[in-house]
Amino acid sequence: MMLSPEVLTLFILNALFLFFAIIAFYLSLQIFLKWDRSSTCQVQYKLEKQSFLAATIIKYIFMIKVPLFLFFIFTLDKISALLTGAMCAAGVVDATSYGVYLLILKILNLYIFAYWLVLHREDMKEEEQPYTKMKFGVFLVAFLLLIAEILLEGVMFNAIDIHKVVDCCGVIYSSSSGSYLSNIFHLSTPMLLVLFYGTFLFLLLFYFLKYRYIFALLNVLFLIISLITLIAFFGAYIYELPTHHCPFCFLQKEYNYIGYFLYILLFIGTFQGVIVAFLKASKSQIERRYKVALLFNSLYVLLLTLYPIYYYLKNGVWL
Amino acid sequence: MIELKNITKLYALSKVDEVRALDDVSLTVKEGEVVVLKGASGSGKSTILSLIAALSKPTSGEVVVDGKKVSKLSDNFASIFRRDSIGFIFQKYNLIPSLSVRENILLPLVPLNPHAKDAQKKLSEVMEIFHITHKADTLVKNLSGGEQQRVAIARANVNNPKIILADEPTANLDEKLSLSFIEILRELKSLNKTIIIATHDPLFFNLDFVTREIAMHNGTLQL
Repeated sequence: MMLSPEVLTLFILNALFLFFAIIAFYLSLQIFLKWDRSSTCQVQYKLEKQSFLAATIIKYIFMIKVPLFLFFIFTLDKISALLTGAMCAAGVVDATSYGVYLLILKILNLYIFAYWLVLHREDMKEEEQPYTKMKFGVFLVAFLLLIAEILLEGVMFNAIDIHKVVDCCGVIYSSSSGSYLSNIFHLSTPMLLVLFYGTFLFLLLFYFLKYRYIFALLNVLFLIISLITLIAFFGAYIYELPTHHCPFCFLQKEYNYIGYFLYILLFIGTFQGVIVAFLKASKSQIERRYKVALLFNSLYVLLLTLYPIYYYLKNGVWL
Repeated sequence: MIELKNITKLYALSKVDEVRALDDVSLTVKEGEVVVLKGASGSGKSTILSLIAALSKPTSGEVVVDGKKVSKLSDNFASIFRRDSIGFIFQKYNLIPSLSVRENILLPLVPLNPHAKDAQKKLSEVMEIFHITHKADTLVKNLSGGEQQRVAIARANVNNPKIILADEPTANLDEKLSLSFIEILRELKSLNKTIIIATHDPLFFNLDFVTREIAMHNGTLQL
């Protein structure tokens, strides 16, 4: 078991989340099963009071979970110094078979948490609170995923063996690696770029056509393709090294923390794009989300595009 | 205009002990009516006012004001409702002693962020109606009880609410000031405000402008 101060902090926070989340889960379950907005009986008034308590707990758990995700990455990066072979967070993620699944689960949870916060915000905007039952239903699912995440996190840190030599990001994210991720390097660069810019152009098209389900689906696709192209193509231009493809190293100071900016742009852009399919908000509110999605996704594309152009102008060659 | 439908309100003193402040109360108050709720302390008068003002929620039943189900409003919407529709006069005035008369009266306008000219106009109007213009810059803590009461009434009226709720408004006033307060209520009635007064002060009984007097006992209306 690896117990650095950062890991202990994560464990203590997880224990607190668990405690409060169980209370919120119990209240949410009651609300989900018995909520009847039109009723004026004692049970309904009690549920209305409980809904504020439960929502407050959930809101604060989720609001802390978002920056805690960044702290988790920071922790992985920090403890990489203790693992022989690891140069950054990537080595720690790859040190056990749970790392990748935990990372995927954490990203999935981030989207679900953000979705819950949006639902809650929309719910509180309306006198009739139209999303109350739905948002507590979503929390019931989110709670199970949160528990899975907490358990997996404990299992992962427990499974890290500091005596075992692990791979560095240069090996993990290379075409010679035997990992699942290495398959993306078998895609040709032109194919990757066509997929990346093609999906973005379709996003642009469906932004104007306003087919919200297709727009949301394209955002999911754009998220996946963006992460793949970031690792397989653009990463090399950020590091200015043809063999360096790590999705974590550019979170470090040496690269001006640009990774945080890129990931936040991608997260907000794709999240706002996906959410248009799930909200029954007014036309103007949906339109605002369309605009935010397009703006952040465009900034992401623009920023990534500038890296190879800048490199080419500086060095006169492509990597 | 104001409807209380089968309202029950329980206050929990402990896990096993609770007080039944209102017991299946139903009441309708029409627009422009002046209703006096009278009864001993603990009979449920103040509870009715706090429910109408959406300051608290019933244990069961429903409060409807102008078609709006105020007992079902969330805190945010209840605040907006109070700000727009209710003027509340408290027994202890609930003024901020370190602020001037002008500042106290302007407080309900702050969330609305009105234009300075409009705020000044409203301020001047209510200060004139309630005869406190000459005290505008005096700190509230330096005013007499009667003057503080007038400031409280002015503050309750600065948003021009349709409904005025007064909870034991003359409990801290002598008879002369109480009679002066009653005259102010008469003026408010002439402005077609709906007024509900919770009191056990006999000065309020048998007044010519009062539409109804309702006695309360142990959380029930004695109709």
